[in-house]
Amino acid sequence: MPKARIGELIARRELIWNLVLRSLRIRYKGSALGFLWTLLNPLMMMLIYWLFISILRFEVPLSHLLTGVIFWQFVAMCTSDAVRSVSGFPNLVKKAYFPRIILPLSMVIANLINFALSIVVLAVILFLLKLFAQAAVDFSFLWMLPFVMAIQFCLVLGIALLISSANVFFRDIEHIVGVVLQALFFLTPIIYPLSFVRERISGFKSGGVLLSIYLLNPMASLVTLFRKAFLGRELFAGGGFLPPEPAFYISLGLSLVMLFAGVRVFGKLEPYFADHL
Amino acid sequence: MKAVDVSNVSKRYFLRKEVMRSLKSTVLGLLTGKRIREDLWALKDVSFSLEPGETVGVIGANGAGKSTLLGIIAGTITPTSGSVHVEGRMSTLLELGAGFHPDLTGRENVFLNGSILGLSKKYIEERFSDIVHFAGLSEFIDVPVKHYSSGMYVRLGFAVAVEVDPDVLLVDEVLAVGDEEFRKKCMNKMASFQKAGKTILVVSHDLEAVKKICHKVILLGEGSIVDLGDPAKVVEEYVRLGLEQQDNVVKREWGTKEAVISGVTFCNEAGEETSRFTSGQSIVIRIAYKCRRRIDDPIFGFGITDYQGRLCYGSNTIIENVPISHIEGEGEVRLVIDSSPILRGKYYLSFSLHSRDHRTNYHRLDNVHSIWITSDTKREGFIRLVSAWREGR
Repeated sequence: MPKARIGELIARRELIWNLVLRSLRIRYKGSALGFLWTLLNPLMMMLIYWLFISILRFEVPLSHLLTGVIFWQFVAMCTSDAVRSVSGFPNLVKKAYFPRIILPLSMVIANLINFALSIVVLAVILFLLKLFAQAAVDFSFLWMLPFVMAIQFCLVLGIALLISSANVFFRDIEHIVGVVLQALFFLTPIIYPLSFVRERISGFKSGGVLLSIYLLNPMASLVTLFRKAFLGRELFAGGGFLPPEPAFYISLGLSLVMLFAGVRVFGKLEPYFADHL
Repeated sequence: MKAVDVSNVSKRYFLRKEVMRSLKSTVLGLLTGKRIREDLWALKDVSFSLEPGETVGVIGANGAGKSTLLGIIAGTITPTSGSVHVEGRMSTLLELGAGFHPDLTGRENVFLNGSILGLSKKYIEERFSDIVHFAGLSEFIDVPVKHYSSGMYVRLGFAVAVEVDPDVLLVDEVLAVGDEEFRKKCMNKMASFQKAGKTILVVSHDLEAVKKICHKVILLGEGSIVDLGDPAKVVEEYVRLGLEQQDNVVKREWGTKEAVISGVTFCNEAGEETSRFTSGQSIVIRIAYKCRRRIDDPIFGFGITDYQGRLCYGSNTIIENVPISHIEGEGEVRLVIDSSPILRGKYYLSFSLHSRDHRTNYHRLDNVHSIWITSDTKREGFIRLVSAWREGR
C-alpha cells in the first residue's frame, strides 16, 4: 500500500472509529440487555460446550475446548460480517468518497473488540476452572497473547479484504464462505487439541508430510499458540515451548502474505465497486 | 487555475442481460471467452472546466449521464477514459443522509454522517445544537431515524452536509426535496456558499432554481454536452427540445411476424425525411411491409400517444373504409395526417398489422417511433381547435 493511502487512512481515523461504533451499536440495538450480550454470548456458548462434554463424555478437556471455541468465534464472525461489508452498503460506496478499505477494516476492528471482551470472560472462566476443577490452566505464557492476536488480526483482515471485494462482483462468495468456514472448523484444532492430530497421524507411513500439510493452515498454528497463552507448559508433549515442525512457522508467515494479497486485490478491484452495486 | 477541470471523460457500463444468464450460459461464456453483455456509454468525451467561485448547473433528461458525471468528479466512480482534476478541498452533497443507519438515533447518525463527509468529531460537537436547530428536530434527535418521516430524514442529512467547508461543492438534486420552507433554507444556504466564493457544480431538475443561481449551465444529452453557456439560453433550448419531460410510455414490438412492418419513415410536406414537424404541417408516414406468405384481408392501424402514455388518436384501414384485399411479398402503404392539429410536444406512434377479426396480430410496434412537434404561435395547450372570437352577441 503506498504511503499516501496509509496517510489517508490515518486522516480518516475518526470515520473508522465511527463505523466501528456503528457495527457495535447496531449488533445489539433494540435488545433489552444490549451490550451485555457481548459478554453473555461467549458465556452461553461455553455453557453449551460444558454440557456437551459432560453428557457425551467427550475426551477433550473443557479448557482446550473453550479456548478453541472463543478463538474460532472471532474468525467466523469476522469473515461472515466482512463478506458483505462492501456489497451491503451500496449507498455509501456510490454516494460518498472515502477509502473503501475502511469498510472491511472497521468491521474487523469491531469484531476484534468483541473478541477482546470475550477473552476477558474466557480468562475468568478458566481461572474458576483451575480453582474448582483443577483444570490444566497456566497463565505464565499469557504474554504471548498480544502477538498471537496481532497475527490473527492480519490474517483475518487479509481474508476480509479478499472476500469483501470479490463479493461485489460475484455474490456466490458469501455462500462459499459459509461452506468453507464449516469445513475449516473441523480442519482446525478447535474442538480437539493439536496433540490429537499428532498422535493419530503418527500411525501413517508419511505422517510427517501429512502433519506439515495440516499445519500449513495458519489458523491451526494460531489457535495452538492461543491455547498456549492460557494453558501454558502442558500443551506440547515433551514440555517444549513451541512445536518443532517448520510448517508451523511458515503458516504464521502465510498470515502476513494473506494480508498483503488482500490489500493488493482490494486496491485493484476498488475502482469498479460503484459500477457493480 | 481552474477549480474543476474535466477533460475527455468517458464512462462505459456493461449491461449484463440478466434474463439470458443461466449457469450453462455463464460457463459457456467463460469457456468461449464470449460474454453476453451490452455496452452503454453513459458519458462520451465530456470536457469542461469551472473557474473558482463559479456556480455551474447541469441539466438533462433522466439517463443523460448527470449523476455519472458528478460521481466521477466526486471520485466514487472511475472513468473509463479521461481525467478529472479538482483544485482544493471538495465536498459532495450527492445524497442526503447517505450512510444514515435506520437503527441509530439522529444524534448518532449526525456524528457518523459527519465523519463520512470528513468533519471532525470536535467540530460536530461544537456545531451540534445549530445542526439540530437548522433541521428543526430538537425533540426527535434521540429517536432512531427509522421513525423519522422522509422529510425529517432529508432535513437532518442536509443540516449535516452544509456544515462542510469545501473549496468545491458538488450538489445532486438536493434542492428539490422537502417543503417550501425548507427549500427556501436550502436556497439561502447555497447563496451563502456563493457569497463565500465556493465553486459549485449543481445537478437539478428544477429549471427555475438553476436559472436563478447558476452562472453557466451545461445541457447533457445521452452522455454528451449538447449545449453550454448562459443559463436562460440553455434552459430555453432544453425546454424547446422537450427533453425535460419524463416519458411514461412502454415500447414494445410483438406479433406472429407472418408479415412484418419492415420500416417506417416520416416525411414533411416537402418530402424530406424528418422526425420534427411544425404544427399545422402535414405529416406523411410511409409504412413498408414484408410478408412471408399471402395475407388476406389485412388491416393497418396506427395510434398517437403523448409522453404520458395517453392515447390521443387512433384509427385503421377498416375504420377509414379503405379495405385491402390481400398483401404479398413486399410493399408500402402511406398514411397522411393533413395539416396536423397537434400544437407541440413529443409524441409516440404505434403501428399495427393485424387480421380483420383482430384475433391475429401479425406485427405490432407499440410506441417505437416518436416525433417532435413545435409551434411558433402563442396558443396554449397541445391541440389546436378551430376557434374564433366575436365581439357582442
